[in-house]
Amino acid sequence: MAIVRRSLLLIALALYTSFAAGPFVWAAMMSLRTTTEIHRNHFAFPNPAHWDKFSDAWFKSNYAVYFANSVQVVVVAVLILTVVGAMAAHCLARYKFRFNRVIYFILFSTIIFPPQITIISLFQILVQYGLYNSKLGLTLVYVAIQLPLTIYILESFFARIPADLFDAARMDGYSDWEIFWRVALPIALPAVATTVILNFILLWNEFLYAVVLITEEANRTLPLGIQRFLGDTQEDVGMIATGLMIAIIPVIVVYAFFSERLIQGMTAGAVK
Amino acid sequence: MAEVTLSKIVKKYDEVEAVRGIDLDISDHEFVVLVGPSGCGKSTTLRMIAGLEDITGGEILIGGDIVNDVPPKDRDIAMVFQNYALYPHMTVAENMSFGLRLKRFPKAEIKKRVDEAARILDITELLERKPKALSGGQRQRVAMGRAIVRNPKVFLFDEPLSNLDAKLRVQMRTEIKKVHQKVRTTTVYVTHDQVEAMTLADRVVVMNHGLIEQVGPPNELYHSPRTRFVAGFIGSPAMNFIPARIEQNGSGLAIKLNDKLAFPVPEARKTRYEKYAGKNDMLLGLRPEHITEAHGHMEPGKIPFDANLEVTEPMGMETLVYFPLNGTQICGRVNPKAGAQDGAPMQLAADLNNMHLIDAASGRVL
Repeated sequence: MAIVRRSLLLIALALYTSFAAGPFVWAAMMSLRTTTEIHRNHFAFPNPAHWDKFSDAWFKSNYAVYFANSVQVVVVAVLILTVVGAMAAHCLARYKFRFNRVIYFILFSTIIFPPQITIISLFQILVQYGLYNSKLGLTLVYVAIQLPLTIYILESFFARIPADLFDAARMDGYSDWEIFWRVALPIALPAVATTVILNFILLWNEFLYAVVLITEEANRTLPLGIQRFLGDTQEDVGMIATGLMIAIIPVIVVYAFFSERLIQGMTAGAVK
Repeated sequence: MAEVTLSKIVKKYDEVEAVRGIDLDISDHEFVVLVGPSGCGKSTTLRMIAGLEDITGGEILIGGDIVNDVPPKDRDIAMVFQNYALYPHMTVAENMSFGLRLKRFPKAEIKKRVDEAARILDITELLERKPKALSGGQRQRVAMGRAIVRNPKVFLFDEPLSNLDAKLRVQMRTEIKKVHQKVRTTTVYVTHDQVEAMTLADRVVVMNHGLIEQVGPPNELYHSPRTRFVAGFIGSPAMNFIPARIEQNGSGLAIKLNDKLAFPVPEARKTRYEKYAGKNDMLLGLRPEHITEAHGHMEPGKIPFDANLEVTEPMGMETLVYFPLNGTQICGRVNPKAGAQDGAPMQLAADLNNMHLIDAASGRVL
């Protein structure tokens, strides 16, 4: 009976894994095949495997620049988001002050606006402040759009930290600043890791703001670089797949590094 | 080590007065327990001593110095919290030394103090563990260890045992008492559990509605309560209050409970209660242990009466009996071999030598 149950479970897991990982494996196979080969047979194995496509994408298609831009914009944005978001969340969760909930509501309510509504005015503002077509401008926009969600996730976690801990730290002689860095933040690490992963993946793949706010080749991020393989009349499917695989590597690295913390963050409070 | 003085302490939250002008002198080395129901202001008082709450009015002195505006860290006090407040990301040793590290104590001194506190609390083998790997009792010990290593002038405990199960609570109560006997630091301890208050304190401070009802050693509070609140709060099961009237009965006095039942007041109490003769709205206060089974030969002051038992609760060493009297549910304590049974009549005896007479209107014990 136990064997049957185990087998059923394994079959279900195998089906789900192939469903979830299938597109990834397919893109991975296509990244090693030329567009002509792909058109001939969409699902064939890469035989021979064209590893040289990765070096072509990296060197001949300016991927090194796109990649560096993406790293720069996303890492700086995630860093600011994490520090500012955690500070704001700690403040909103921990301190009683007038309009605390009003500020929280205003911050959080901004996520109800779809990007299409704000993007034209954002474009105008960035042009006005000389931030259009700059990595700094895009970084600031990324921070602004992700900050409410970051605060939302972190605030609910910070609010669960017992107030006695902060009182104990105060009695130990720590200032509010030190309490944040040495008590609140280390305890909230699982939640912080969750926001790091979510923000990193979301911003790494972000296309809409980037395509509107960046036009210069030197400032393009990876999603825009991949778009360049989409021609008006013809799509270089093979190179798109290669570009996707290059783009996906940092996401996998970040996820692998933080995943354990992510799970802790998502299940925090589930058990006592 | 130091004495703590509270002088006319007031705490207001907007318009709500949580603490309403209390005065209290706590001597050096003394173990004082603040006890009272939820919302009586005991925790607020403790937090004001700690410096975690601002004081609306009055003065707090620690070791003779006014500390109203001194931040918690500079008051030289240590506090043990209800939910232990251990830093979950630090080991036991790190938790205990967190405050000392900030004050830049030499490493050797920190280690010496942590080891000494761990030895006192018997947690030496737990020093490298994280709080999540500890049981409730062990966490409580670590929380105490964190207070001990600082060698403060005053220890503050905020309901430290309320998260523990009943058995562990009794065990930890003894531990706290032992620790106090060893370190002799002035201690202010807050609890809502009167048993904890009675067993731990040199003096108990009973609080109600932001005011101190009575201060005194546990036995004094138990045997000579000054108000109905204290009489009812201290002791478990609580004191019985029976509506009564005091009347002249020939040359003596009697406590009339109803048309059928009147208890003569013992000679020793006559002069004390004489002036209240003819007064209505009185309450006869009798602790359950002063309502026992009746014997053939009873000492003076013990008066037999008949009761219809509603419920009996065998406790092993005694049986609690509950019966109605004058519209009130009364609790008595009888010998388990006295044959008390649910729903059966029983002759009981009220020991009026230990009676209290209470003015129902003012709540004052007369």
